[in-house]
Amino acid sequence: MRIALSSLVVLGAVIGCGGAGNDAGVPGEAHLILAWDGSREPATLDGHVEPYQPGWLIDSFIADPLVVLGPNGDYIAGLALDWTSSEDARTWTFTLREGVSFQDGTPFDAAAVKYNVERILAPETQSAEMAAHVGPVARVEILDDQRVVLHYEVPWVTVLDAFRRVPIWSPTAAEKWGLAEFHRHLIGTGPFLLDEWVPNDHVTLVKWSDYGGWNAISRGGPAHLDRVTIRFIGEQAVLGNVVKTGDAHIAMNVPSTYIEDYRDSDDFRLITGFQAGSGLSMTMNTRNPPLSHLELRQALLYGVNQEAINELLYDGNFLVTDGPLNEIHPCYWEGNADYYPHDPDKAAALLEGMGYVDRDGDGIREAHGVDGVADEAKLELRWTVLHYSEIGEAVQSQWRDLGIDLNVEVIPGPVQLERVNQRNFDLMYERQRSPDPMLLDMVWNSAHDVVGGWAWGGFVDAELDATVGQLRTVADPKTRCEIAKRAQKIIMDNALMLPTLSEPIFYAVSNRVVDFELSSEGQFFFLHNTRLEP
Amino acid sequence: MLLRYIARRLAQLAPVLFLISIIVFSILHALPGDPVQLMLAGAESGSVTPERQAELRQMMGLDDPLYVQYFRFIGGAVTGDLGTSVRLRQPVSTLILDRLGSTLLLSLGGILVAVLLGLATGIVAALRQGSWVDTASMVLANIGVSVPLFWLGLVLILVFSFELGWFPPAGQQGLRSLVLPSLTLGLVSAGVISRLTRSSLAQVLVEDYMRTARAKGLPEHLIYIRHALRNALVPVLTIVGLQFGAMLSGAVVTETVFSRPGLGRLVVQAILWQDYPLVQGIVLFMATSYVFVNLVVDVSYAWLDPRIRDGERAA
Repeated sequence: MRIALSSLVVLGAVIGCGGAGNDAGVPGEAHLILAWDGSREPATLDGHVEPYQPGWLIDSFIADPLVVLGPNGDYIAGLALDWTSSEDARTWTFTLREGVSFQDGTPFDAAAVKYNVERILAPETQSAEMAAHVGPVARVEILDDQRVVLHYEVPWVTVLDAFRRVPIWSPTAAEKWGLAEFHRHLIGTGPFLLDEWVPNDHVTLVKWSDYGGWNAISRGGPAHLDRVTIRFIGEQAVLGNVVKTGDAHIAMNVPSTYIEDYRDSDDFRLITGFQAGSGLSMTMNTRNPPLSHLELRQALLYGVNQEAINELLYDGNFLVTDGPLNEIHPCYWEGNADYYPHDPDKAAALLEGMGYVDRDGDGIREAHGVDGVADEAKLELRWTVLHYSEIGEAVQSQWRDLGIDLNVEVIPGPVQLERVNQRNFDLMYERQRSPDPMLLDMVWNSAHDVVGGWAWGGFVDAELDATVGQLRTVADPKTRCEIAKRAQKIIMDNALMLPTLSEPIFYAVSNRVVDFELSSEGQFFFLHNTRLEP
Repeated sequence: MLLRYIARRLAQLAPVLFLISIIVFSILHALPGDPVQLMLAGAESGSVTPERQAELRQMMGLDDPLYVQYFRFIGGAVTGDLGTSVRLRQPVSTLILDRLGSTLLLSLGGILVAVLLGLATGIVAALRQGSWVDTASMVLANIGVSVPLFWLGLVLILVFSFELGWFPPAGQQGLRSLVLPSLTLGLVSAGVISRLTRSSLAQVLVEDYMRTARAKGLPEHLIYIRHALRNALVPVLTIVGLQFGAMLSGAVVTETVFSRPGLGRLVVQAILWQDYPLVQGIVLFMATSYVFVNLVVDVSYAWLDPRIRDGERAA
């Protein structure tokens, strides 16, 4: 009993000492509470270092980027009002806004842009993803306070896609705090100041009253919200309920099992965002039989009914994907839609044509004269994923009717990397997210079929390599999309991957929240104009 | 005499911690995968070239031979430098200290619940052996021991947060947010303490000195407090200490379910990231904490029961 009393005293003392942060805020202020899946919490809030989107999204509230990817998928003005590139895409000139200052009062100008680019590329920053996006800048030239030129070593066509992500930090603040501490003292030009970050718990932002609306999204002036708290929720059941229970105003990435609670409610609304990219696709390992046979790969594509899977598993809420890029991608090729319609008879005919027949009557086909495959070998394939194994299980059922034995295996990330490095897989989960078609080069150019590269399938084709390779040198968006569409046709001609579904990003939003705007990338949103009604 | 006992126990810690460091280091490096590739695997698009990945690996010291990495780690650990997290880019010791307060608070809350409930039900059960109170207490204790933590946590959230709205379902905002996680963590240990208290007290109650105390005419409540409980609680104290040590190092599930920023949650992230220095540092810290809590229990046990240190001296 004495122990219990002592513990009570210690507990009271510790609680009395304050403990961790508190997001209660000030009564009467417009305090928006966002709930995020805890697994999406960034490792650092400094987007120059952090390789993941959630970190960049938080940064976008604190620092406006040079360009903004708007709700319609166009690049609109951020801190840069205008931009041009040379014909060879080696030189990019940005014209910057005048009269902009950082939250610490220092001016935003061409020198600040130069500082930020050089900080990202400096070896000591150890920036991985952001440095790769910014690319091989040879030098940054300051023409005057409002004009800055990036000179590249090679044509760099994805500069806008890169700089929509790059937070522009105050050089003075970044220097003052240094790499190790700056992520807790971020200073940008955005509508909110970083107030507090308690890792694994919450990030708090407060309104910057001197914000000048330096972003085409903003309707001018400071934000309407006084305070924003982003809370990281470790348990999916909690994330699915927090808006309903009033513990948050917005929940991002609400699990699909909870969305019906919000869909037809008078108090809440459900907003669905999608992200351009490959969707949840399965790369086929074409190096070895039997997947080295085009007929088999085509049969697999004909054998999948994605609409049925979407209805069965997700009530149709996911997006059916039918090619290397999903249909919300700006460079989606419409021909994908009819390329491999669900046709089990055609799939069966292809399998029989190549020598896969079920002679022993056990429901699984065996090889009979299939090139490179031992006779009597069963048609067995592995479906290797990190998550969404239910899609594999649904495909398993559909392919079973075709006489294919599909083994679904769920593995953790490190094991996936090991398997990929060893090229030890049949169908391997891959997801790339970007509205730029460059991802086709990364995934399908055989030059990137190296350890650490992202071209895993083992398919080597000069035409495909040359086509996707052009995406690195051609800057004009329309021409890039034409190239991307040609590449998609080659990929589908050769049935190199099995598209499945694209997962939505569900936002449960309280009706008290007004003017909450999604970007064209469903994982990004804007709070510049958001209000909280009483 | 007690000081010599403590010194001897402290000397025994060094090989234990050394072994733990070797085991953790070996297991981590035997796992498949590579921290740099893993760091970039879920990134938006795979735009980081293999050459750049190799550069990062070299900068982070991950391409050094394993023995070099181990001696760098253990050499630093001796001086209190547990290295720098690959993913979080901060000193591991700073990260541990940042999270320690939350875990300590939760563990104190948990042990408080465990001690209060466990002692109360155990004592009542022992004093009313064979009655319905005894049966009910032991059924509850067995349930407490058997229930999975995550399930219990979710049920508590469902009832007390979502249905009744009494406590927040997640986060760390003041005392109210500590109640449900403490209950979750404490109820399981309460079951263990309750069962032990009951059996220990039941044994003491039939000892000769209890009869002697009654024969002397002492009031019943003094007999129970001075003679029965004081003797019965010695083994319980050991279990309380062990449970507290386990809570300090094992609040992983509770911290995840209730989204609390503690060491348990951090170590799970570190394992998923394959952040070698962070995992090694946390595990070494947790092991050290556990060993020290055990030491404190042993010392207090020796202090409470002179036969123990006398036994050591005789040996």
